[in-house]
Amino acid sequence: MSLFLERFVNGLADGSIYALLALALVVVFRSTGQLNFAQGEIGTMGAFFVSTLTLSGLPVWLSIGCAMVLGFFVSAGVERIVVRPIEHRNPGAVIVALIGVFLAVNQIVAMIWGVDARSLPSVFPDDADDFVTIGGAPIRIARLGIIGVLIVVLFLLWLMFNKTKVGLAMRAVANNQESSNLVGIRVGSILVVGWGLAGAIGVLAAAMLAPSAGLTGTLMLGPFLLASVAAVLGGLDSPVGAVVGGLIIGLTEAFIVGYVDFLGADMLFPVMLVILLLVLLLRPAGLFGTERVERV
Amino acid sequence: MSAEALLNVTGLTAGYGPVEVLHGLDFTVAEGEIVVILGANGAGKTTTMRSVSGMIPRHGTVDFAGTHISGSKPDAILRAGISQVPQGRGTFTDLSVEDNLMAGAYSVKSGVEEDLDRWYGVFPRLAERRDQKAGSLSGGEQQMLAVARAMMSRPKLLLCDEPSLGLAPLITKELFRVLGSLREEHGMSLLIVEQNAGMALALADRAYVLETGSIVATGTGDELLADDTIKEAYLGVVS
Repeated sequence: MSLFLERFVNGLADGSIYALLALALVVVFRSTGQLNFAQGEIGTMGAFFVSTLTLSGLPVWLSIGCAMVLGFFVSAGVERIVVRPIEHRNPGAVIVALIGVFLAVNQIVAMIWGVDARSLPSVFPDDADDFVTIGGAPIRIARLGIIGVLIVVLFLLWLMFNKTKVGLAMRAVANNQESSNLVGIRVGSILVVGWGLAGAIGVLAAAMLAPSAGLTGTLMLGPFLLASVAAVLGGLDSPVGAVVGGLIIGLTEAFIVGYVDFLGADMLFPVMLVILLLVLLLRPAGLFGTERVERV
Repeated sequence: MSAEALLNVTGLTAGYGPVEVLHGLDFTVAEGEIVVILGANGAGKTTTMRSVSGMIPRHGTVDFAGTHISGSKPDAILRAGISQVPQGRGTFTDLSVEDNLMAGAYSVKSGVEEDLDRWYGVFPRLAERRDQKAGSLSGGEQQMLAVARAMMSRPKLLLCDEPSLGLAPLITKELFRVLGSLREEHGMSLLIVEQNAGMALALADRAYVLETGSIVATGTGDELLADDTIKEAYLGVVS
């Protein structure tokens, strides 16, 4: 039982990271209709920036805040400089361009910070004895902290989307760009804000993951793939779906690695591929996504 | 009348890519006036509306309340006082009725709550359904919502792009009654493009007939209603 609990909490913690990344993907997809392939790499870049800042003596939480600002501007810049000019001419080409951005950011990170693995301090107490015992299971405080971060982010996003004018504008733009224009919303600025927000969330996810996973250039590669599966599972246009999908993927990962010996960690991605195929076959809109049926 | 007209359009041309749809339109809307532009499918009605509200590139002069707005962007034109009810209603279907109205007030700084109450008073059905998603409303209710949303920006001139499209005759009648009351009770000026000639002309002070991008006739609503060619072309009456 205690082992189950430990695995459950670990699954939720990893799932929280996937949920954050999936949220970022969904925020972009809802407004622009694009899957941002560079999402994970911008996060990796942010995590390395956190590392540089903490080494220069800044507190970890402040470093993460600064890196999120960097992530905001990098991601917003990608929308402005790469996505928008290309989208006008050929929406399909944007996918290829974003894969290009993925590669570019990946290489820039290697150029600036090198290819050696680094360790990144956690913002939570993360020493060997920093755990609480729940139901006989030792649960690391850092893991609980990650789940807490997801809850706080969700609350802030909920506040922004439902209680602020920019949030209303973002929902309006996601729903109908033409009408948004007509009510005086500057659609372009809102898209930039949406991409920026996604970039900042991606950096946060990377900064949460790096202390336990180790900071390397490929930090976000696997998590990005899993978050994509999570977003499709939950429904690419549903923030709730992204969170539920992320947590499901995290728990699935923890239980497969923990309990299913013949699959184990090596078979994780094939299992995710099967999940992806099943979702696309049985419920293409995802668990919470809207099926595109419209009254004409 | 063009000297003190609220909206004064001269030589308006617009199109999509290399295709010119409007070939130099001249029309005016005076303060407190209801003007109808009558036209069949493909005549350029929607293009005219989108040119005035700044949604597409256009040439010619568009003066509104004494200011040139020919080169302005949609948000600036909206703040100047022109609000558009788009063709096909264009409600935010995934948003609640109330959020639709709040989005309509995006350009308004204060007093939004009072405006909400006022339009809920005019459209009680919307008040009943304020928490429902707009997509779940009937076509008629969505059209009312589109009008109320446009009014939330406190315009001086309301542009309506084929408001009767897809509505049952009784609902259309109610809609035109509401549009008329916007002028009577709220001092609005209206520019409506329609192919539903009967009801639109009955409401209009003046009307223009638009055919393949040019204005081919103009007169008061009653004059055009009595015109035989108009009857034949838009009312299905063969004389």
